[in-house]
Amino acid sequence: MLKTLNQKLSLFLILFASGYLYLTYNLKEYPYVPVDSDFVPKVLGYVLIVLAVFLYFDKSSETKEEKEKRTIPKKEILVLLAVGAMIFLYIFLLELLGFVLSSMLFVFGCSLFLGYRNHKVNVIVSVIFPLVMYLSFNYLLQIKLPQGILPF
Amino acid sequence: MGAMEGFMQGLEVAFSFQGILFVLIGVIAGTLIGMMPGLGPISAIAIMIPITYGMNPSTALMMMAGVYYGAVFGGSTSSILLNAPGISGTVATSFDGYPMAQRGEAGKALAIAAISSFVGGTVSVVLLMLFAPALAQVAVSFGPAQYFALMFLGLTAIASLSDGSTVKALIAATVGFMMATIGIDGQTGTTRFTFGNPNLMEGIDFLVIALGLFALAEICFLIKNRKDDSLSKQGDIGSLKLGKSDFKEMRGPMSRQSFLGFILGVLPGAGATIASFIGYISEKRIAKRPEEFGKGSVKGLSAPETANNAATSGAFVPLLSLGIPGSGTTAVMLGAFLVLGIQPGPLLVQDHPDVFWGIIASMYIGNVFLLILNLPLIPYIAKILKISRPLLISLVAIFSLIGVYAISFSTFDLYVLLAFGVLGYLMRLFSVPAPPFILAFILGGMMEQSLRQTLTASGGNMLALISDPVSIGLYIVSLISFLVPLIRTRNKNDQSESEQKAS
Repeated sequence: MLKTLNQKLSLFLILFASGYLYLTYNLKEYPYVPVDSDFVPKVLGYVLIVLAVFLYFDKSSETKEEKEKRTIPKKEILVLLAVGAMIFLYIFLLELLGFVLSSMLFVFGCSLFLGYRNHKVNVIVSVIFPLVMYLSFNYLLQIKLPQGILPF
Repeated sequence: MGAMEGFMQGLEVAFSFQGILFVLIGVIAGTLIGMMPGLGPISAIAIMIPITYGMNPSTALMMMAGVYYGAVFGGSTSSILLNAPGISGTVATSFDGYPMAQRGEAGKALAIAAISSFVGGTVSVVLLMLFAPALAQVAVSFGPAQYFALMFLGLTAIASLSDGSTVKALIAATVGFMMATIGIDGQTGTTRFTFGNPNLMEGIDFLVIALGLFALAEICFLIKNRKDDSLSKQGDIGSLKLGKSDFKEMRGPMSRQSFLGFILGVLPGAGATIASFIGYISEKRIAKRPEEFGKGSVKGLSAPETANNAATSGAFVPLLSLGIPGSGTTAVMLGAFLVLGIQPGPLLVQDHPDVFWGIIASMYIGNVFLLILNLPLIPYIAKILKISRPLLISLVAIFSLIGVYAISFSTFDLYVLLAFGVLGYLMRLFSVPAPPFILAFILGGMMEQSLRQTLTASGGNMLALISDPVSIGLYIVSLISFLVPLIRTRNKNDQSESEQKAS
């Protein structure tokens, strides 16, 4: 039943739209307007289901180019996940350590992990870039980035 | 205020020290970001938005316009030098630009691209100056019903004209619209789809989606191709000199495509990509020696380059005079306006003449900058392409994260950004186009508002949507735009059938 990629995507979209519609039908009613806040979401939910059905029966097969784009070696998936985890960790540490320190760690660590071997340049960039960003945001643009444990 | 008077005021704003400086910064930043493989105008504009916080709106938007056409030009540089178009709008540039570069005439190719872009950009700014105020005057009388029809047209047009599957594009648009319904409903105060999370009360900020779907998702592709070192192999680009015969060749395409590109840019959904392809195809059709196309023809390079820059200014017509973006890029541009508290639309000329005319006037300067910048400096700028991918990836990631943090000061939005980065990457893997998503997200709130205003006024009568000739006309055009992909697939089928027969 779920042979093609389109059919799998379609099923997922129908589930998503159903969940969305379920929430829509549980929205609070507001009696004093002719068109309530659930009108547009309801239309969208049903439109998505109709489109997903179209996608299910869409026979156009993937082009070679599209298929190639979709095949990722296992090792690369791990690399992508690792970078995702690093960004996650960065967000987590941002307000604890402050922008400067966490960015230094991230730029140096992420570049190193992705195979950047010029350590001298890496250290220089990962120290100067966050400092310049921090100072220009804080003092030129008046946007206070998280200070963290540093005194300035 | 008359148009001439307004334009003079715009020139004053654009020629101030600040104006010149920020247009220059915008053009340079746009060119650099646009050159990076994968990063196009949408990422460039989204990355630059945080820098505009607290700036004077007219200066900030002049800079953002510079980023936009700078990025379009930067994309053609990487198309010519590396055969790696940064954006779809410069794919046609690589057809003849790259063969030329392989012949050792990269310098010549870049010069042709720079001059064609300059002509296309400048001619279309003149057209923009003439048409935008006129269209704004017409649009002043538009009510919510007409606006709804107009936005509906914008959405269906981008979905049916984007490359790849129309169904997938429409799905992207629908899901983008759904994202716009998150948060407190403006009319009734009902909280929708927030799951009780106070961070979602005000909805998701457009920058979160723009940076996630574009900049972060592109990073994933950069990660996959990080070992590609074709950049560092790039050698000397050769002489930039053009001969008399080259100019003679360029004259035809430049004069035709400036106008054609502009018109296609104004149309919703069409934009730079379609303009450049149509420019290329139409010039090939009328050329005396069409067999040269694809092998490094001057005409074949000049046509798409003129057209894509002309389309870029053309896209500003609906944005400035109607307040309705016709493409993913102008949608993010609209976001940049809104961040600065400026609502583009028919009233922009009256309410903020400095912004309206400042942007237009700055485009003249910006195009001159692009030419000056690109002709003599291109060999040096091209060296920046050699920046190592791993380092670039980390820096773009930080830029995106900080851009979002600087508007919301909450790490919650950063996690949402990361989620949209993953979504954007998955969408690319499954060949679902992202521009309809961002356009629908930005138009979604406005569309819902005008729809409900219309229906409230009519007491819920749906016929109010089609009660006037303007709306009916717009719906008919939307329907017609759906026929385009049908014709396209039929043509494709015919082609493959005849190919099969031939073999």
